[in-house]
Parts: sequence; C-alpha cells; structure tokens
Amino acid sequence: MSSPLAQPDSALLGRPRSYGAIVWGQLRKRPSAMISLAIILLVALAAMLAPFIAGEVPIRWVENGKASWPIFRYLTNAEYVAMLAFVLAGALPLTVRLVRRRAERVGASPLMRAIAIHAGIWIVLAAGLLALREPERRYGFYLERAGEAQSAWFPLIPTPRYPGYESLVHRDEPPSWQHPLGTGRLGDDILLRILYGGRTALTIGFVAVGISACIGVVLGSLSGYFLRWVDLAIMRLAEIFMFIPQLVLIIIILAVIPSSVDPLWAVVFVIGVTGWTGTYRLMRAELLRIRSEDYMTAARALGLPTWRLLLRHAIPNGLAPILVGATFGIAGAVFIEVSLAFLNLVQTPSWGELLTDGRQHLETWWVWGSAGAAIFVTVLVYNLLGEAIRDAIDPKLKI
Amino acid sequence: MKTYILKRLLLMIPTIVGITLLTYLIVRLAPGDPIEAMIRNQSGNIDPKAMKEDAQKIRERLGLVDYHVVRDRVFGPESRWQEKPELKPSGAVFTAADVADKVTSAVVGYGRWVGRMATGDFGESIKYRTSSGSRNPLALIAERIPVTATLNLIAEALIFFTAIPVGLAAARHQGKWFDRTSSFVMLAFWSVPTVLAGTVLLGFLGKGGLGWNGFPIAGLHSFGYEKFSWGEYLADTLWHSVLPVVCLTYGGLAYLAKLGRASLLENLRADYVRTARAKGLPESRVVYHHALRNSLLPMITVMVLTLPGLIGGSVIVETIFSIQGTGLLLVNAAEAYDLALIMTETLLYGVLTLVFLLIGDLLYAWADPRVRYE
Repeated sequence: MSSPLAQPDSALLGRPRSYGAIVWGQLRKRPSAMISLAIILLVALAAMLAPFIAGEVPIRWVENGKASWPIFRYLTNAEYVAMLAFVLAGALPLTVRLVRRRAERVGASPLMRAIAIHAGIWIVLAAGLLALREPERRYGFYLERAGEAQSAWFPLIPTPRYPGYESLVHRDEPPSWQHPLGTGRLGDDILLRILYGGRTALTIGFVAVGISACIGVVLGSLSGYFLRWVDLAIMRLAEIFMFIPQLVLIIIILAVIPSSVDPLWAVVFVIGVTGWTGTYRLMRAELLRIRSEDYMTAARALGLPTWRLLLRHAIPNGLAPILVGATFGIAGAVFIEVSLAFLNLVQTPSWGELLTDGRQHLETWWVWGSAGAAIFVTVLVYNLLGEAIRDAIDPKLKI
Repeated sequence: MKTYILKRLLLMIPTIVGITLLTYLIVRLAPGDPIEAMIRNQSGNIDPKAMKEDAQKIRERLGLVDYHVVRDRVFGPESRWQEKPELKPSGAVFTAADVADKVTSAVVGYGRWVGRMATGDFGESIKYRTSSGSRNPLALIAERIPVTATLNLIAEALIFFTAIPVGLAAARHQGKWFDRTSSFVMLAFWSVPTVLAGTVLLGFLGKGGLGWNGFPIAGLHSFGYEKFSWGEYLADTLWHSVLPVVCLTYGGLAYLAKLGRASLLENLRADYVRTARAKGLPESRVVYHHALRNSLLPMITVMVLTLPGLIGGSVIVETIFSIQGTGLLLVNAAEAYDLALIMTETLLYGVLTLVFLLIGDLLYAWADPRVRYE
C-alpha cells in the first residue's frame, strides 16, 4: 500500500519531475542544443554504419541463383558491439517504462535500474560475440567479381577499403558522384577515410574522456570531502599535471611507448591519464559546496558510513557539472588527436592524419577541406552542446 | 602577506619534486626500453658491441643504470633481467623481492638523476649542439627560449587587449545581436584546430600558396638577416611572425572573451554596481571604473593558467611554420628519443608555469587585499 501522504502531492503537481527531466526540458527549448545533438547522433551513426555507406563488401550478393548477405559476415565484432550499444541505448525509454512501477515501489530510480539492466545485457552479449565469432577479412574479393553476380547491392559508395595499384588511375580526383568527397594521393576515397576517421575521433573522445572523468571524479570528491592533508596531497598531484602542458606530457609519453602498443589505445590512454585536472577541480569545488548542505548533515546525523555518504549522497549530486566538462572534453580530445597526428606521433586512420596528408597538396582542396570540416563541425557541435547544458544546469558555472 | 608568500613557496616544493618524479617515472616505467629504442632509431645499423657501450653511457648519464626490462634481449644476456624470466615456485614471474629490487633501483636512479641536476649536470643531448658546440640541454633550450617567449608574449598581449573589449561589449549588450554573434564566432574560433588554421593561412596567404602569396612561410627571419639594420631586422621579424601569432592567438582569444563576458555579467549584476548607478554616476564610469576593474583581477590568474595551453599550441605552430623555438626542439627531441633534452625541457616547462602562477597569485594578492591564504 502506498503512503496516503503521497496522494494529494502528486494529484496537485502531477508526477514529480526529476533533475534530469528539468535539464532536458531546458535543453529542448534551445535550437542550438537540439541541432548539435542531431549532428552528434548523425556523426555517430555514420561512423558506426561506415561499411554500409562506403566500402567494397556487398550487402546482398546473388550468384548462381543463390543469395547471400556478405556484409554481415564481414562486420567486425567491435562493430556489432557498438551497434548493440546503440540499439540498447535507444530502447532505454521502453525499459524505463517497464521497470518504473517496481522501482518506484522500492524507492529506486527507474532510469538507473534500466541502465543497469541494459548494461548487463550488453556485457553478456558482447562477451559472447567476442568469444564465439570470427569475422571474415578477405577484402578485395567482391568488387572485382561484380560482373559475375546476377544481382549485387553494394554500399552507397562502392570503393576498395584498401586501394591497390590499379586505383592510382583515380588519384587526386575532385568530388564526383562516384567519390562524393573526391580521392586522395593513392586513389583512396576520402569519404571512406572520413567515416573511419570519425570512429577514431569518437573512440578517443569518449573513452579518453571517460577515463579522465573517472579519475577526476574520484580524486576530486576525495579532495573536496576530506580536505586537510588529503586535499593538500591530491592538489599537488593535480598541479603537476596542470603545469606541465598536456601536449608536452603526451608527446614525451608517446615518445617512450613502444611501437608494439596499438597507437589508438596508446593515445586514448595518454589523453585520459593526463587530462583529468579539469574534472578534478570541478568535482572538488562541487564537493566543497555539497559537504555543508543540509541533506549531508542529515545523512551524517543518521550515522551513515563515509563511503555511503560519498557514493550515494555527495557524488551523485556533484555530477552535473562533470557532464558539461566531459562534453567540452570530447571536443578537446579530438583536438589533441589532430595535433598528435600532425606531429606524426600516432599512425592510425583519423581526421588528423587526413588533414596532415592534405596539407602537403593544398591544390587538392577536397582532402584537407573534408578533414578540416569534419573536425570543425564535430568540435563545434560538442562545444555548443556543452554550453547549452551548462546554461541549462547553471549559467554561472565557471567552465 | 609575508606568511602568504612563505606558504606559497613551501607548497611549491612538493610540486617541483612531483614534476621531476613524474618526468623520471615516464621514462623509467614506459613498457619498452627507451634507450634501446633511442639507439635503434638513431643509427639503424651499428655493431652490437658499440650499441651496448652507447646504451651503458646514456644510462649512466641519466641515472638509469639499473634500468632492467625483461624484454630487452637485443644485447644478449647483459644481466639476470635480460634472461628469460624463470617461473617462480608460486607460478609468478616476479616475486615480492624482485619488485622490491625494482623499486629500490628506481629510487636510487631517481636520486642520482636529481643529484646530477643539482650540480648543474642535465646530461647531454644526443642530437643537437648549440651554436657554440655545447650539448648541454639547458644551453640548447636557453638559445631558443627568446623566440618562443617573444611569440607567446605578443600572442598573450593580443589576446588580452582584444578579448576584454569583445567580452565587455558582449556583456553590455547581453542577448542583443552583437552578444549572440560574438558568442557564436568565439565558439567557432575555439573549434578550429591550430593545424587547420595554420594550413589555411599558409596555403592562402603564404608565398607559393594558392592565394595572396604575401607572407613568408618558414622561420622568423629572411635569408641574410645578419646584415640587416636594426629597423629592417625588426620589421622583418614582425612580418614573419604575423601568421604564427594569429595561429597562437585566436583560440585563447575565444576562451578569454567568453570568460570575460561571464565575469563582467556577474559584476554588472552586483549590488555595488546598482549602488553606483543609483548614485547617478554616468554609465561609462559605472562600467569602466567599477565593473571592469573588478572583472579584470581574476583574469590575471586565468591568463597564467592558459599558459600551458599556449605552450602546447606553440609546439604545433612552431612545427607548422618551421620556427626554431623550444616547441619544435621538443618535437624533434621526441622523434630522436633524445631523452636528456626531453626530460630537461619538460621540467623547465613545468617549473616555469609554476613560477608564473606564483607571480600571478602574488600580484593578485597584492592588488586585492581580500585574498588571504586559507
């Protein structure tokens, strides 16, 4: 039986709106935020579905009267895992609705429960996929035999993933219907490189910022909650990372990391480990404010253990500014990747690499122009979204 | 004030120790053997014996003598660490004693390195010499600091003197078209990577490019600048530094203009501004004498805190424009595994920023008596 006291309250005000719902309501009023969000989703989708947009593996292939769907054999496990994450994230509202009743009865957040359920499903499926499935890797197979098929549905832009010598005929071609963004020095399709570069950018952005946000939140909340010598010590640690320029730190770390480490993950790790000071300072300031709030005093008076005070009451209430910082951080990580590619410290397909390639031959403007536009638009929309979230949360926030 | 300065100075010590420790640990804990990689990178093909001697020499110089890496088998069994690690009875490759051994050797190595630096020995650059032939990293860096410092100083001054008026105008006309346009333009500036800006500027304004062909594309001086008169030299240098300075400026400008706007808005809404207006002061006096002054103070700290970003930016800018400054030196040193140079330069950057922040904070405390160390 529900408490009778809850009745008139909800009858008067309707369903109580959560903090997240209020912020979302604010965000929806801003066209810049909505446009940015749309572009962000579009870029993510395009990066994820890259093999369907440009590539050489047909989606459907009919030979000798037998139809097959080769692309699904070629999609890598990582691609499946990413798609799964996307689908599960899209289905979140549905699960929220399903678990709302039960969650509210025990006083838990339906959203958190739904996220936990989906994360569980995702982990199980992803682990199974990685353990059991072996993707096909014979590139350069279908495009040459296109004439032999009775019917073949190629991606929107049929182009070899790893161009060979024969593609040199088509090198440095300006944009055309066949190659919407033109071709590069080796006859490589620029759109294909933009799509795969987008994957690198998003991986670096999200994973690196995830790492640095975790470090920053943990150290910042310890620092802001315990103060005294804990704060003093962690602050000195943060100062070290603040005073050595991040790019310099990254350069020296990458200089000594052996080449056997995958360059992409080396960069992700390095950006994550060096970039946490911003989050740290935000979280520390939040904790300084929160620790003297009434609800903290109440929780302390209840005799809750410190870990519970921190994990259940202090940290969740300080996370909003971290979201803003992380959104800006993604833009910053993309920037760093561009610098590193330019300095030739990372060899991985990325927008920075494309921009650096294009720099050598300015007359093929479509090469550096596409890369530059991709970087600019992506960074701009993340910055716009960050500003919008900040204004929705607290315009006075100093980020 | 005296106690404040003293406390600040005392707190600097652990940070400086931390900066040295971090620099050392990066080189030491990196999963590969940087020295081996350095020698391989430097001279693809020399006989193993010479390589071994070189490696030993470099190790000694850097205080990394006890640097053992299991995978380092290139030079044959040099020590017990290079042999295939035996499986210990417990099944672990390393026992607690091994770990303790490693930690001790790291501490000893760090101590030696710091001790050397204390006596002024920063090692030797393996790649570069100064114009007088010295391989001392400090001398090498000192030779190039004027270039980087000049560019950054011009950039900082430009940033300050353009960002403040823009921020001021935006704050005074909050929500009007100037505010909205400038906000968007600043955010757009903030979103342009330096590499792209440099490429476009060079490509369309530089010599041999596609556009105007006017600006020089590399270095800070024309050929034969040694014979220039004083005035010519200055004009030549300034002309060369236009594009690099633009590249260094626009990002910081966007950042500071945004912050300046926010800070001014806060002050314009403050009680003392309302009082000033109620007294009947003219609007210009309210804005320039009351609000602006109070918003400028925190900007000092912000300017100093943007310094590391500016240094990072100058690494890129100097590489794009082939300017022989400290940034390009660092990039080249990293490419050549020039460890002594890398480590010294990183240390120097860290300590310089620290010192500038201290000066900034002291100025702030001197200008604003409300600032007290808690």
